[in-house]
Amino acid sequence: MISLNEVAEQESLKPILKLDKLSKAFPGVQALDEVSIEIAEGEIHALLGENGSGKSTLTKCVVGAYKKDSGSVFFDGREVDFSSPAESYQNGLSVIYQERSLIPKFTVLQNVFLGNESTSRVGVLNERKCKERFSSLSKEYGFDIPPREKINRLGVAEQKTVEIMKALNKKSRLIIMDEPTASLSESEVEHFFEVVRRLKQKGISIIYITHILDEVFALSDRITILRDGKKVDTVRTDSVNKGTVIKMMIGKSLKEHFDTSQRSTDKNSIIMSAKNIVNKPRVKGVSFDLRKGEILGITGLTGAGKTELARSLFGVDRINSGEIWMNASKIRIKSPVDAIKHGIALIPEDRKEDGLILLFELYKNITLAHLRGFSNRLGILSRRNEMHSVKEYKKKLDIRFSSANQITRNLSGGNQQKIVIAKWLETKPSVLIMDEATQGIDVNAKEEIYAIVRELSEEGFSVIFISSEVPETRNIADRILVLREGKLAAEFDRSAPQDDVMNAVLGGTAENENKQE
Amino acid sequence: MKTNRSDTVSLSTLLSQVLRFINRFKIITAFLVVAVFISISTPFFLSWNNILNIFRQTSIVGIMAIGSTFVIIGGGFDISVGSLLALTAAMAVGLQSYMAWPFAIIVVIAVGAGFGLINGLLSSKIRIPAIIATLGTMTIIRGVVYMYTGGYPLYVDSPGFAFIGSGRIGSIPFPIILLLIMVAFWQFILVKTRLGRYTCAIGGNKEASRLSGIKVDFYMTMTFVIGGSMAAVSGIVYAARLLSVTPLAGQGYELDAIASAVIGGTSVAGGEGSVFRTLIGALLLTMITNAFNLLGIHLYIQYVFKGLVILAAVGFDSYSKAKA
Repeated sequence: MISLNEVAEQESLKPILKLDKLSKAFPGVQALDEVSIEIAEGEIHALLGENGSGKSTLTKCVVGAYKKDSGSVFFDGREVDFSSPAESYQNGLSVIYQERSLIPKFTVLQNVFLGNESTSRVGVLNERKCKERFSSLSKEYGFDIPPREKINRLGVAEQKTVEIMKALNKKSRLIIMDEPTASLSESEVEHFFEVVRRLKQKGISIIYITHILDEVFALSDRITILRDGKKVDTVRTDSVNKGTVIKMMIGKSLKEHFDTSQRSTDKNSIIMSAKNIVNKPRVKGVSFDLRKGEILGITGLTGAGKTELARSLFGVDRINSGEIWMNASKIRIKSPVDAIKHGIALIPEDRKEDGLILLFELYKNITLAHLRGFSNRLGILSRRNEMHSVKEYKKKLDIRFSSANQITRNLSGGNQQKIVIAKWLETKPSVLIMDEATQGIDVNAKEEIYAIVRELSEEGFSVIFISSEVPETRNIADRILVLREGKLAAEFDRSAPQDDVMNAVLGGTAENENKQE
Repeated sequence: MKTNRSDTVSLSTLLSQVLRFINRFKIITAFLVVAVFISISTPFFLSWNNILNIFRQTSIVGIMAIGSTFVIIGGGFDISVGSLLALTAAMAVGLQSYMAWPFAIIVVIAVGAGFGLINGLLSSKIRIPAIIATLGTMTIIRGVVYMYTGGYPLYVDSPGFAFIGSGRIGSIPFPIILLLIMVAFWQFILVKTRLGRYTCAIGGNKEASRLSGIKVDFYMTMTFVIGGSMAAVSGIVYAARLLSVTPLAGQGYELDAIASAVIGGTSVAGGEGSVFRTLIGALLLTMITNAFNLLGIHLYIQYVFKGLVILAAVGFDSYSKAKA
């Protein structure tokens, strides 16, 4: 018998999904330009491309969230034209989005069967049947999720698994995963990979959309690279290396840019001190000093308390106890308003939900946090001053847009993030807290963000750079703090070996972190 | 075959362009279409007197709708303004037994703003959903109106006060001038000031606004204060026009005010809207009523039709947004 692995690699075999010259335009952009792709049965097919290259649009056109302009989609040998993601799901083609799409207050069981509840003839829910189906699914694929648990009590990785179960319940033949590991910690990612590989063994095809090249090489059989809405190529993963793939993604080669030069900020004065910050339940007493012009990296697993620490410092959450000092005097921060007054800025983890007003013209987002600076005593705004500032940041941060009146929603992730940064620079902060600032943006834009952070620190801004990616944190930070379970686990300077930092993050052994009860 | 196909393609692009235009200027388009249609069916419609009449009839709901626009853009809802019109109108009349009418007006506007403040605090601080909070105050205020009037109509006779309702500057009735001034003023506030920008920001994304250092509760409350004050101004015009106020005054006005705002394209989800377009929405509503009266169509049917217009306006907006 041929293993399914080999089947996937024989490209002549019957494809489960075939896209033929798929095109989609938005006002001013050709988001997809005659893209043709074939996905084989039981194949893990990575879809790579920078932000704005058309990956999301492609997904949305296939499942019917967008209406395609032209081209055809063949699923399981038949031409299909789904009118909605719900219809595509009912037909065995599921999407697992970057954002979670489960109902937090429902149980695992209720979520898995949502829209497909077993009912008696008069519509009464048959929970026993659902449970039987649930346990047979669990057994078949080796999942171990308690069916009665509420979703909001599960970890992110477990939630992803629930979404997969939801897809499997409808006998999905193809699952599209859109940056599934974006909010997973590194040990969770490994666990998630096992799940994905198991799906492949069962003959389920997967389109895996990600920015993270390591994942592509660890998982995929083939890679399709998109650039500016066009397909660059489809290649077998074992026939290429990272360099060639990056070259295809960005159309030029990227130099190795690991800057290991030691910068000295030790002599500088301490600008901010946190003393024994407690923000229940996640932050259990964290202290640190931040110097002027320093980039302080804070890393740790998801759930280690990084985001909650950031929220405490910015007054989003009220701290239970602890002190915050700025410039050697103790300050009280009860709300973001107080924090801003004291020169603290927060670039939040969730750019779209917390960072931006998506329906605003972009210039309104740039000036929003410092609108006082653009208005006179009566509160009347000066459009000329606003435009002046927009122009300044467009140049300084290389934000790409054609008009300041463009709606923020329509910009790429990288550009959106730059707008958030511009918004906060406008408040002239002395401390800039960045929480997962490069999450969900492409390689090039990440590099640009790093460059911006370095430049800001040269200019005297102090940056707290929070990231769950250890290599990224080592790359950018002058000093690294590792948080584990709400406490400071270790401190390193930038020359510390990656393995040491990694060990501190994981707490010695990786297995400990995989809480299994 | 081939030419046939390109014909349909160009036809469909033309159609989509027309649709895009309608979508962009839909309220103006609807306004023009209805106006042309009505003026064909009844020539009197376009007479100068009738046009002034439509504007004058719009003035009371129109002024109230300015407030509703702010509240809805900020992500709230206020259904208490109809009752508030009754209370402020009754007080504007009643207080004149104790003080000169200009002072009565000042007190009345303060009362309107005060109830707006209560609505705002209930919804922003106590966090009662706005529609429920104002349902409560709507009932309370109506009760207060009955208590204040003792259940009987109040009358006043004061030429200075009457000018607000039926005076003219040149040939233009004063309520129309007041309406246009209010629209211009509040449109300016909405587009050109911090207050306006913050209102849109909060309606667009409350959490992001909070994290941008905006005092969300304060500005949300302010939208209700504006709503209450505008209800009071409309109450004053109402009282000055009729020179008498019954305890039943203003019933259903809140619905017309909200309808004007949403027909004018104010997003019921918050974040988007324009005072100017609300005026057009209000005019459209009055125009339809006016035309139906001219055509002698029964009042009952007018209700049904008005409801359909509201559903069509919001439905078109929501549906095209979901498709985009």
